[in-house]
Amino acid sequence: MALRRPGRREQDDGVRFSRTLTLTLFIIAALLIAFDRPDARPGFLVSFRAAVSDMAAPLLDLTARPLRGMGNIGPYWQRQRELAVENAELREQLTETRYWRDLALRLRDERDIYREALNLTPASEQERIGAWVLADPTGPFVRSRLVGAGAGRGVSEGDPVLNVYGLVGHVVEVGERSSRVLLLTDLNSRVPVMADRSNARAVLTGDNTNFPRLEYLGRDADLQEGDRIVTSGDDGILPRGLPVGTAALDRNGRWRVRLFSDNAPVDFVWVLPYDRLPTPEEEPAVTGVMALPENAAAPNSASEAGEEPAGTIAITEDGE
Amino acid sequence: MRAPIERRPPYGLAIWCAITLLLALLVYATPARLTRSTDLMPLLPLITLFIWSTIRPYFIPPIVIFVVGLLQDLLTGGAMGIWALSYLLALTIMRVRKEDATTREMGPLWFRFVATAAIAVIFAWLAGSLANGHPAPVQPMAIEAAASILMFPLIALLSVRKRQSRGAFS
Repeated sequence: MALRRPGRREQDDGVRFSRTLTLTLFIIAALLIAFDRPDARPGFLVSFRAAVSDMAAPLLDLTARPLRGMGNIGPYWQRQRELAVENAELREQLTETRYWRDLALRLRDERDIYREALNLTPASEQERIGAWVLADPTGPFVRSRLVGAGAGRGVSEGDPVLNVYGLVGHVVEVGERSSRVLLLTDLNSRVPVMADRSNARAVLTGDNTNFPRLEYLGRDADLQEGDRIVTSGDDGILPRGLPVGTAALDRNGRWRVRLFSDNAPVDFVWVLPYDRLPTPEEEPAVTGVMALPENAAAPNSASEAGEEPAGTIAITEDGE
Repeated sequence: MRAPIERRPPYGLAIWCAITLLLALLVYATPARLTRSTDLMPLLPLITLFIWSTIRPYFIPPIVIFVVGLLQDLLTGGAMGIWALSYLLALTIMRVRKEDATTREMGPLWFRFVATAAIAVIFAWLAGSLANGHPAPVQPMAIEAAASILMFPLIALLSVRKRQSRGAFS
Protein backbone atom coordinates (compact mmCIF):
# COMPACT_ATOMS: atom_id res chain seq x y z
CA MET A 1 0.00 0.00 0.00
CA ALA A 2 1.24 3.45 -0.76
CA LEU A 3 1.32 5.47 2.40
CA ARG A 4 3.83 8.16 1.62
CA ARG A 5 4.98 7.66 -1.93
CA PRO A 6 6.80 10.24 -4.02
CA GLY A 7 4.30 9.58 -6.84
CA ARG A 8 1.49 11.07 -4.74
CA ARG A 9 0.77 14.70 -3.95
CA GLU A 10 -1.66 15.91 -1.36
CA GLN A 11 -3.13 19.21 -2.40
CA ASP A 12 -6.05 21.33 -1.33
CA ASP A 13 -8.27 19.51 -3.75
CA GLY A 14 -7.29 16.05 -2.47
CA VAL A 15 -4.89 13.20 -3.31
CA ARG A 16 -3.39 13.15 -6.78
CA PHE A 17 -1.18 10.42 -8.15
CA SER A 18 1.56 10.72 -10.72
CA ARG A 19 0.13 11.01 -14.20
CA THR A 20 3.25 9.45 -15.70
CA LEU A 21 2.82 6.35 -13.54
CA THR A 22 -0.86 6.06 -14.44
CA LEU A 23 -0.12 6.49 -18.14
CA THR A 24 2.69 3.90 -17.97
CA LEU A 25 0.34 1.39 -16.36
CA PHE A 26 -2.27 2.03 -19.04
CA ILE A 27 0.33 1.30 -21.71
CA ILE A 28 1.55 -1.87 -19.94
CA ALA A 29 -2.02 -3.15 -19.61
CA ALA A 30 -2.72 -2.43 -23.30
CA LEU A 31 0.48 -4.23 -24.33
CA LEU A 32 -0.47 -7.24 -22.21
CA ILE A 33 -3.86 -7.42 -23.93
CA ALA A 34 -2.14 -7.25 -27.30
CA PHE A 35 0.42 -9.99 -26.59
CA ASP A 36 -1.32 -12.35 -24.16
CA ARG A 37 -3.66 -13.82 -26.75
CA PRO A 38 -5.14 -17.24 -25.93
CA ASP A 39 -4.30 -18.66 -29.37
CA ALA A 40 -0.72 -17.38 -29.59
CA ARG A 41 0.69 -16.85 -26.13
CA PRO A 42 4.46 -16.32 -25.82
CA GLY A 43 6.29 -18.98 -23.81
CA PHE A 44 7.42 -16.68 -21.02
CA LEU A 45 3.83 -15.55 -20.42
CA VAL A 46 2.68 -19.19 -20.26
CA SER A 47 5.35 -19.91 -17.63
CA PHE A 48 4.44 -16.76 -15.70
CA ARG A 49 0.75 -17.67 -15.68
CA ALA A 50 1.50 -21.22 -14.53
CA ALA A 51 3.75 -19.90 -11.74
CA VAL A 52 1.04 -17.51 -10.50
CA SER A 53 -1.55 -20.32 -10.56
CA ASP A 54 0.82 -22.52 -8.58
CA MET A 55 1.29 -19.82 -5.96
CA ALA A 56 -2.43 -19.10 -5.73
CA ALA A 57 -3.47 -22.76 -5.60
CA PRO A 58 -2.96 -23.33 -1.83
CA LEU A 59 -4.78 -20.09 -0.98
CA LEU A 60 -7.66 -20.90 -3.30
CA ASP A 61 -7.89 -24.40 -1.85
CA LEU A 62 -8.08 -22.93 1.63
CA THR A 63 -10.83 -20.52 0.58
CA ALA A 64 -12.75 -23.21 -1.30
CA ARG A 65 -12.87 -25.73 1.55
CA PRO A 66 -15.67 -24.12 3.56
CA LEU A 67 -17.64 -23.44 0.37
CA ARG A 68 -17.57 -27.10 -0.67
CA GLY A 69 -19.77 -27.97 2.27
CA MET A 70 -22.25 -25.19 1.66
CA GLY A 71 -24.31 -27.37 -0.66
CA ASN A 72 -25.53 -29.22 2.40
CA ILE A 73 -26.84 -26.09 4.06
CA GLY A 74 -30.58 -25.56 3.86
CA PRO A 75 -33.83 -26.29 5.63
CA TYR A 76 -33.72 -29.72 7.28
CA TRP A 77 -36.94 -31.04 5.70
CA GLN A 78 -35.86 -29.89 2.25
CA ARG A 79 -32.48 -31.58 2.61
CA GLN A 80 -34.12 -34.81 3.82
CA ARG A 81 -36.46 -34.85 0.84
CA GLU A 82 -33.56 -34.24 -1.56
CA LEU A 83 -31.60 -37.05 0.07
CA ALA A 84 -34.51 -39.47 -0.25
CA VAL A 85 -34.93 -38.67 -3.95
CA GLU A 86 -31.19 -38.91 -4.53
CA ASN A 87 -31.05 -42.22 -2.67
CA ALA A 88 -33.80 -43.73 -4.82
CA GLU A 89 -32.06 -42.55 -8.00
CA LEU A 90 -28.74 -43.97 -6.85
CA ARG A 91 -30.30 -47.37 -6.06
CA GLU A 92 -31.80 -47.46 -9.52
CA GLN A 93 -28.49 -46.51 -11.10
CA LEU A 94 -26.65 -49.11 -9.04
CA THR A 95 -28.91 -51.89 -10.26
CA GLU A 96 -28.33 -50.85 -13.84
CA THR A 97 -24.63 -50.35 -13.28
CA ARG A 98 -24.19 -53.96 -12.11
CA TYR A 99 -25.41 -55.18 -15.47
CA TRP A 100 -23.12 -52.77 -17.34
CA ARG A 101 -20.16 -53.70 -15.16
CA ASP A 102 -20.53 -57.38 -16.01
CA LEU A 103 -20.87 -56.50 -19.66
CA ALA A 104 -17.81 -54.22 -19.55
CA LEU A 105 -15.67 -56.90 -17.94
CA ARG A 106 -16.75 -59.45 -20.54
CA LEU A 107 -16.05 -57.02 -23.37
CA ARG A 108 -12.67 -56.12 -21.90
CA ASP A 109 -11.66 -59.76 -21.98
CA GLU A 110 -12.85 -60.07 -25.59
CA ARG A 111 -10.98 -56.90 -26.52
CA ASP A 112 -7.76 -58.19 -25.03
CA ILE A 113 -8.09 -61.38 -27.07
CA TYR A 114 -8.72 -59.44 -30.29
CA ARG A 115 -5.83 -57.09 -29.59
CA GLU A 116 -3.53 -59.98 -29.10
CA ALA A 117 -4.78 -61.71 -32.25
CA LEU A 118 -4.45 -58.55 -34.37
CA ASN A 119 -1.20 -57.48 -32.73
CA LEU A 120 -2.67 -54.03 -32.03
CA THR A 121 -0.79 -51.52 -29.94
CA PRO A 122 -3.30 -49.94 -27.58
CA ALA A 123 -3.05 -46.33 -26.53
CA SER A 124 -1.40 -46.27 -23.15
CA GLU A 125 -3.84 -46.49 -20.28
CA GLN A 126 -2.60 -44.91 -17.11
CA GLU A 127 -4.08 -44.28 -13.71
CA ARG A 128 -6.40 -41.31 -13.59
CA ILE A 129 -5.41 -38.42 -11.35
CA GLY A 130 -8.10 -37.12 -9.00
CA ALA A 131 -8.11 -33.42 -8.14
CA TRP A 132 -10.31 -30.80 -6.52
CA VAL A 133 -11.33 -27.74 -8.46
CA LEU A 134 -9.71 -24.73 -6.80
CA ALA A 135 -11.06 -21.87 -8.85
CA ASP A 136 -14.20 -21.63 -10.88
CA PRO A 137 -14.15 -18.45 -12.87
CA THR A 138 -17.12 -18.46 -15.22
CA GLY A 139 -16.35 -15.06 -16.65
CA PRO A 140 -17.43 -13.53 -19.92
CA PHE A 141 -14.11 -14.15 -21.66
CA VAL A 142 -13.05 -17.57 -20.57
CA ARG A 143 -14.62 -20.67 -19.11
CA SER A 144 -11.94 -22.55 -17.27
CA ARG A 145 -11.23 -24.32 -14.01
CA LEU A 146 -8.09 -24.34 -11.92
CA VAL A 147 -7.51 -27.84 -10.53
CA GLY A 148 -5.16 -28.87 -7.75
CA ALA A 149 -2.92 -31.26 -9.67
CA GLY A 150 -0.02 -30.36 -11.91
CA ALA A 151 3.11 -31.67 -13.53
CA GLY A 152 4.25 -32.95 -10.14
CA ARG A 153 1.50 -35.58 -10.26
CA GLY A 154 1.89 -36.40 -13.94
CA VAL A 155 -0.51 -33.97 -15.57
CA SER A 156 0.56 -32.64 -18.95
CA GLU A 157 -0.87 -30.20 -21.48
CA GLY A 158 -3.76 -31.58 -23.52
CA ASP A 159 -4.80 -34.26 -21.03
CA PRO A 160 -8.58 -34.82 -20.94
CA VAL A 161 -10.44 -33.96 -17.75
CA LEU A 162 -13.64 -35.71 -16.71
CA ASN A 163 -16.07 -35.55 -13.84
CA VAL A 164 -18.17 -38.49 -12.73
CA TYR A 165 -20.48 -38.16 -15.77
CA GLY A 166 -18.33 -37.18 -18.69
CA LEU A 167 -15.75 -35.00 -20.37
CA VAL A 168 -15.33 -31.54 -18.86
CA GLY A 169 -12.49 -30.18 -20.99
CA HIS A 170 -8.76 -30.50 -21.45
CA VAL A 171 -5.66 -29.12 -19.74
CA VAL A 172 -4.26 -25.96 -21.33
CA GLU A 173 -1.78 -24.74 -18.72
CA VAL A 174 0.31 -26.85 -16.40
CA GLY A 175 2.08 -25.70 -13.28
CA GLU A 176 3.90 -27.84 -10.75
CA ARG A 177 0.94 -28.11 -8.37
CA SER A 178 -1.98 -26.83 -10.43
CA SER A 179 -3.39 -26.93 -13.94
CA ARG A 180 -5.91 -24.89 -15.86
CA VAL A 181 -8.67 -26.75 -17.66
CA LEU A 182 -10.38 -25.20 -20.67
CA LEU A 183 -14.03 -26.21 -20.54
CA LEU A 184 -15.90 -27.59 -23.55
CA THR A 185 -18.17 -24.56 -23.36
CA ASP A 186 -15.34 -22.03 -23.78
CA LEU A 187 -15.23 -19.95 -26.95
CA ASN A 188 -11.80 -21.32 -27.83
CA SER A 189 -12.65 -24.99 -27.28
CA ARG A 190 -12.67 -27.27 -30.35
CA VAL A 191 -13.00 -31.03 -29.86
CA PRO A 192 -13.54 -33.60 -32.62
CA VAL A 193 -16.47 -35.82 -31.70
CA MET A 194 -18.71 -38.44 -33.25
CA ALA A 195 -22.11 -39.95 -32.73
CA ASP A 196 -21.78 -43.26 -30.94
CA ARG A 197 -24.59 -44.82 -33.04
CA SER A 198 -23.60 -43.76 -36.55
CA ASN A 199 -19.98 -42.58 -36.25
CA ALA A 200 -21.06 -39.26 -37.83
CA ARG A 201 -18.14 -36.89 -37.29
CA ALA A 202 -18.32 -33.26 -36.12
CA VAL A 203 -16.35 -30.67 -34.21
CA LEU A 204 -17.72 -29.66 -30.83
CA THR A 205 -17.34 -25.87 -30.67
CA GLY A 206 -17.81 -23.88 -27.47
CA ASP A 207 -19.65 -20.57 -27.63
CA ASN A 208 -19.79 -19.66 -23.92
CA THR A 209 -23.30 -21.08 -23.64
CA ASN A 210 -24.04 -24.25 -21.68
CA PHE A 211 -24.73 -26.14 -24.90
CA PRO A 212 -21.75 -26.20 -27.30
CA ARG A 213 -22.42 -26.44 -31.03
CA LEU A 214 -21.75 -29.33 -33.39
CA GLU A 215 -20.02 -27.90 -36.44
CA TYR A 216 -18.57 -29.29 -39.67
CA LEU A 217 -21.22 -31.98 -39.86
CA GLY A 218 -21.57 -33.57 -43.26
CA ARG A 219 -24.49 -32.61 -45.46
CA ASP A 220 -26.27 -35.93 -44.90
CA ALA A 221 -24.87 -36.69 -41.50
CA ASP A 222 -26.73 -39.47 -39.73
CA LEU A 223 -27.54 -37.71 -36.48
CA GLN A 224 -30.67 -37.97 -34.35
CA GLU A 225 -31.84 -36.18 -31.23
CA GLY A 226 -30.59 -38.02 -28.18
CA ASP A 227 -27.64 -39.64 -29.95
CA ARG A 228 -24.78 -40.22 -27.57
CA ILE A 229 -21.79 -38.06 -28.51
CA VAL A 230 -18.27 -39.22 -27.69
CA THR A 231 -14.81 -38.01 -28.59
CA SER A 232 -13.60 -39.32 -31.95
CA GLY A 233 -9.89 -38.99 -31.26
CA ASP A 234 -9.39 -37.62 -34.78
CA ASP A 235 -7.14 -34.83 -33.56
CA GLY A 236 -4.77 -37.27 -31.87
CA ILE A 237 -4.93 -35.11 -28.76
CA LEU A 238 -7.88 -36.63 -26.91
CA PRO A 239 -8.46 -40.39 -26.80
CA ARG A 240 -11.39 -41.91 -28.65
CA GLY A 241 -14.64 -42.77 -26.90
CA LEU A 242 -14.76 -40.38 -23.94
CA PRO A 243 -18.43 -39.59 -23.12
CA VAL A 244 -19.38 -36.02 -23.99
CA GLY A 245 -23.17 -35.65 -24.07
CA THR A 246 -26.30 -36.10 -26.15
CA ALA A 247 -27.21 -34.41 -29.43
CA ALA A 248 -30.05 -31.89 -29.37
CA LEU A 249 -31.50 -29.41 -31.86
CA ASP A 250 -31.83 -25.78 -30.81
CA ARG A 251 -34.61 -23.40 -31.84
CA ASN A 252 -32.71 -22.38 -34.97
CA GLY A 253 -32.33 -25.96 -36.09
CA ARG A 254 -28.62 -26.16 -35.24
CA TRP A 255 -27.14 -29.19 -33.58
CA ARG A 256 -25.90 -28.72 -30.05
CA VAL A 257 -24.80 -31.04 -27.28
CA ARG A 258 -26.32 -31.41 -23.84
CA LEU A 259 -23.19 -32.17 -21.82
CA PHE A 260 -23.10 -35.16 -19.48
CA SER A 261 -20.73 -33.27 -17.19
CA ASP A 262 -23.50 -30.77 -16.41
CA ASN A 263 -25.35 -33.46 -14.46
CA ALA A 264 -23.21 -32.71 -11.44
CA PRO A 265 -21.18 -29.76 -10.19
CA VAL A 266 -17.63 -29.79 -11.48
CA ASP A 267 -16.00 -29.83 -8.07
CA PHE A 268 -13.93 -32.99 -8.22
CA VAL A 269 -12.42 -34.16 -11.49
CA TRP A 270 -10.15 -36.80 -12.93
CA VAL A 271 -7.31 -36.00 -15.25
CA LEU A 272 -6.50 -38.84 -17.63
CA PRO A 273 -2.82 -38.81 -18.53
CA TYR A 274 -2.86 -39.79 -22.16
CA ASP A 275 0.27 -40.50 -24.17
CA ARG A 276 -0.55 -39.30 -27.62
CA LEU A 277 0.84 -41.29 -30.51
CA PRO A 278 3.66 -39.24 -32.03
CA THR A 279 3.20 -38.02 -35.58
CA PRO A 280 5.69 -39.06 -38.28
CA GLU A 281 7.17 -35.55 -38.08
CA GLU A 282 7.75 -35.88 -34.35
CA GLU A 283 9.18 -39.39 -34.59
CA PRO A 284 10.76 -39.91 -38.01
CA ALA A 285 11.26 -43.46 -39.12
CA VAL A 286 14.80 -44.87 -38.83
CA THR A 287 16.16 -45.25 -42.33
CA GLY A 288 18.22 -48.29 -43.12
CA VAL A 289 21.14 -48.58 -45.54
CA MET A 290 21.79 -51.95 -47.01
CA ALA A 291 25.37 -53.07 -46.48
CA LEU A 292 27.26 -53.13 -49.71
CA PRO A 293 28.88 -56.35 -50.89
CA GLU A 294 32.56 -56.62 -50.25
CA ASN A 295 33.45 -56.29 -53.93
CA ALA A 296 31.30 -53.20 -54.46
CA ALA A 297 33.01 -50.39 -56.27
CA ALA A 298 34.26 -47.10 -54.79
CA PRO A 299 34.03 -47.64 -51.07
CA ASN A 300 34.55 -44.50 -49.11
CA SER A 301 37.29 -44.05 -46.63
CA ALA A 302 35.11 -44.73 -43.61
CA SER A 303 33.98 -48.10 -44.90
CA GLU A 304 37.52 -48.89 -45.86
CA ALA A 305 38.51 -48.35 -42.28
CA GLY A 306 35.73 -50.68 -41.21
CA GLU A 307 33.53 -47.85 -39.85
CA GLU A 308 29.91 -47.11 -40.65
CA PRO A 309 28.85 -43.66 -41.82
CA ALA A 310 27.41 -41.63 -38.97
CA GLY A 311 23.62 -41.25 -38.71
CA THR A 312 22.65 -44.49 -40.44
CA ILE A 313 22.04 -48.01 -39.27
CA ALA A 314 23.37 -50.67 -41.54
CA ILE A 315 21.07 -53.61 -42.15
CA THR A 316 22.88 -56.82 -42.90
CA GLU A 317 21.54 -59.64 -45.03
CA ASP A 318 20.26 -61.52 -42.03
CA GLY A 319 18.27 -58.49 -41.10
CA GLU A 320 20.30 -57.43 -38.11
CA MET B 1 -15.89 20.02 13.88
CA ARG B 2 -14.39 16.64 13.20
CA ALA B 3 -11.08 15.67 14.76
CA PRO B 4 -8.10 15.00 12.49
CA ILE B 5 -8.39 11.56 10.98
CA GLU B 6 -4.85 10.34 11.45
CA ARG B 7 -2.09 11.42 13.74
CA ARG B 8 0.24 8.56 12.86
CA PRO B 9 0.63 6.54 9.66
CA PRO B 10 -2.20 3.99 9.67
CA TYR B 11 -0.11 0.93 8.93
CA GLY B 12 -2.68 -1.38 10.53
CA LEU B 13 -5.37 0.01 8.27
CA ALA B 14 -3.12 -0.41 5.23
CA ILE B 15 -2.61 -4.09 6.11
CA TRP B 16 -6.36 -4.51 6.57
CA CYS B 17 -6.87 -2.93 3.14
CA ALA B 18 -4.43 -5.42 1.57
CA ILE B 19 -6.12 -8.36 3.31
CA THR B 20 -9.61 -7.33 2.16
CA LEU B 21 -8.39 -6.93 -1.43
CA LEU B 22 -6.76 -10.37 -1.37
CA LEU B 23 -9.87 -11.94 0.15
CA ALA B 24 -12.08 -10.30 -2.48
CA LEU B 25 -9.90 -11.77 -5.23
CA LEU B 26 -9.87 -15.25 -3.68
CA VAL B 27 -13.60 -15.38 -3.03
CA TYR B 28 -14.26 -14.10 -6.57
CA ALA B 29 -12.19 -16.94 -8.02
CA THR B 30 -13.34 -19.63 -5.59
CA PRO B 31 -15.86 -22.19 -6.82
CA ALA B 32 -18.87 -20.77 -5.05
CA ARG B 33 -21.11 -22.02 -7.85
CA LEU B 34 -20.39 -25.59 -6.86
CA THR B 35 -23.15 -25.19 -4.30
CA ARG B 36 -25.69 -25.30 -7.14
CA SER B 37 -26.58 -21.71 -6.42
CA THR B 38 -27.24 -19.17 -9.12
CA ASP B 39 -24.53 -18.70 -11.68
CA LEU B 40 -23.34 -15.23 -10.81
CA MET B 41 -20.53 -13.67 -8.87
CA PRO B 42 -20.31 -9.95 -8.12
CA LEU B 43 -17.11 -8.15 -9.02
CA LEU B 44 -15.88 -8.22 -5.44
CA PRO B 45 -12.41 -6.84 -6.28
CA LEU B 46 -14.00 -3.78 -7.92
CA ILE B 47 -16.35 -3.23 -4.97
CA THR B 48 -13.45 -3.46 -2.51
CA LEU B 49 -11.22 -1.17 -4.58
CA PHE B 50 -14.02 1.37 -4.89
CA ILE B 51 -14.83 1.43 -1.18
CA TRP B 52 -11.18 1.78 -0.17
CA SER B 53 -10.52 4.44 -2.79
CA THR B 54 -13.44 6.36 -1.32
CA ILE B 55 -12.51 5.95 2.33
CA ARG B 56 -8.73 6.24 1.93
CA PRO B 57 -7.84 7.42 -1.59
CA TYR B 58 -4.09 7.26 -0.95
CA PHE B 59 -4.31 3.53 -0.13
CA ILE B 60 -5.34 2.82 -3.70
CA PRO B 61 -2.72 4.30 -6.05
CA PRO B 62 -2.86 3.25 -9.72
CA ILE B 63 -0.28 0.50 -9.18
CA VAL B 64 -2.56 -1.24 -6.64
CA ILE B 65 -5.51 -1.05 -9.04
CA PHE B 66 -3.32 -2.46 -11.80
CA VAL B 67 -2.06 -5.35 -9.65
CA VAL B 68 -5.56 -6.27 -8.43
CA GLY B 69 -6.88 -6.21 -12.00
CA LEU B 70 -3.95 -8.27 -13.24
CA LEU B 71 -4.44 -10.86 -10.49
CA GLN B 72 -8.11 -11.08 -11.40
CA ASP B 73 -7.11 -11.73 -15.02
CA LEU B 74 -4.67 -14.43 -13.96
CA LEU B 75 -6.97 -16.15 -11.48
CA THR B 76 -9.84 -16.23 -13.95
CA GLY B 77 -7.62 -17.53 -16.76
CA GLY B 78 -8.42 -14.66 -19.09
CA ALA B 79 -5.99 -12.64 -21.17
CA MET B 80 -3.79 -10.47 -18.98
CA GLY B 81 -4.54 -6.76 -18.90
CA ILE B 82 -8.30 -6.82 -19.49
CA TRP B 83 -9.47 -6.15 -15.95
CA ALA B 84 -6.27 -4.26 -15.10
CA LEU B 85 -6.99 -1.73 -17.85
CA SER B 86 -10.72 -1.58 -17.12
CA TYR B 87 -10.31 -0.98 -13.40
CA LEU B 88 -7.60 1.60 -14.00
CA LEU B 89 -9.82 3.47 -16.42
CA ALA B 90 -12.99 3.30 -14.32
CA LEU B 91 -11.37 4.20 -11.01
CA THR B 92 -9.22 6.94 -12.53
CA ILE B 93 -12.29 8.59 -14.00
CA MET B 94 -14.53 8.15 -10.94
CA ARG B 95 -11.90 8.54 -8.22
CA VAL B 96 -12.73 10.57 -5.10
CA ARG B 97 -9.79 12.85 -4.59
CA LYS B 98 -10.64 14.38 -1.25
CA GLU B 99 -9.39 12.59 1.84
CA ASP B 100 -12.23 11.03 3.85
CA ALA B 101 -14.74 12.07 1.24
CA THR B 102 -17.11 9.23 2.00
CA THR B 103 -20.60 10.50 2.14
CA ARG B 104 -22.83 9.11 4.82
CA GLU B 105 -25.67 8.99 2.32
CA MET B 106 -25.88 5.77 0.41
CA GLY B 107 -27.66 7.22 -2.64
CA PRO B 108 -24.83 9.32 -4.12
CA LEU B 109 -22.27 6.67 -3.21
CA TRP B 110 -24.27 3.97 -4.94
CA PHE B 111 -24.80 6.17 -7.97
CA ARG B 112 -21.05 6.72 -8.22
CA PHE B 113 -20.43 3.01 -7.97
CA VAL B 114 -23.00 2.26 -10.69
CA ALA B 115 -21.12 4.62 -13.00
CA THR B 116 -17.77 3.05 -12.05
CA ALA B 117 -19.04 -0.49 -12.59
CA ALA B 118 -20.63 0.48 -15.90
CA ILE B 119 -17.39 1.98 -17.21
CA ALA B 120 -15.36 -0.99 -15.99
CA VAL B 121 -17.69 -3.61 -17.45
CA ILE B 122 -18.18 -1.90 -20.80
CA PHE B 123 -14.46 -1.39 -21.23
CA ALA B 124 -13.71 -4.95 -20.11
CA TRP B 125 -16.15 -6.22 -22.72
CA LEU B 126 -14.41 -4.19 -25.41
CA ALA B 127 -10.92 -5.25 -24.30
CA GLY B 128 -11.99 -8.88 -23.93
CA SER B 129 -13.55 -8.95 -27.38
CA LEU B 130 -10.39 -7.45 -28.81
CA ALA B 131 -8.15 -9.95 -27.01
CA ASN B 132 -10.23 -12.96 -28.06
CA GLY B 133 -10.69 -11.78 -31.62
CA HIS B 134 -14.49 -12.04 -31.50
CA PRO B 135 -17.27 -10.34 -29.54
CA ALA B 136 -17.57 -11.63 -25.98
CA PRO B 137 -21.07 -12.65 -24.85
CA VAL B 138 -22.93 -9.81 -23.18
CA GLN B 139 -25.10 -11.79 -20.78
CA PRO B 140 -22.44 -12.94 -18.27
CA MET B 141 -21.02 -9.43 -18.08
CA ALA B 142 -24.47 -7.95 -17.53
CA ILE B 143 -25.15 -10.50 -14.78
CA GLU B 144 -21.85 -9.73 -13.06
CA ALA B 145 -22.47 -5.99 -13.27
CA ALA B 146 -26.04 -6.32 -11.94
CA ALA B 147 -24.91 -8.59 -9.09
CA SER B 148 -22.14 -6.12 -8.18
CA ILE B 149 -24.52 -3.15 -8.20
CA LEU B 150 -27.06 -5.01 -6.06
CA MET B 151 -24.50 -6.24 -3.57
CA PHE B 152 -22.64 -2.94 -3.25
CA PRO B 153 -24.98 -1.26 -0.70
CA LEU B 154 -24.63 -4.19 1.69
CA ILE B 155 -20.83 -4.07 1.72
CA ALA B 156 -20.74 -0.27 1.71
CA LEU B 157 -23.21 -0.06 4.60
CA LEU B 158 -21.05 -2.37 6.68
CA SER B 159 -17.97 -0.27 5.93
CA VAL B 160 -19.65 3.05 6.67
CA ARG B 161 -21.28 1.72 9.85
CA LYS B 162 -17.94 0.42 11.03
CA ARG B 163 -16.36 3.79 10.38
CA GLN B 164 -19.06 5.57 12.35
CA SER B 165 -18.78 3.23 15.31
CA ARG B 166 -14.97 3.16 15.44
CA GLY B 167 -14.15 6.65 14.31
CA ALA B 168 -12.92 6.06 10.81
CA PHE B 169 -11.32 2.70 11.63
CA SER B 170 -8.66 4.41 13.66
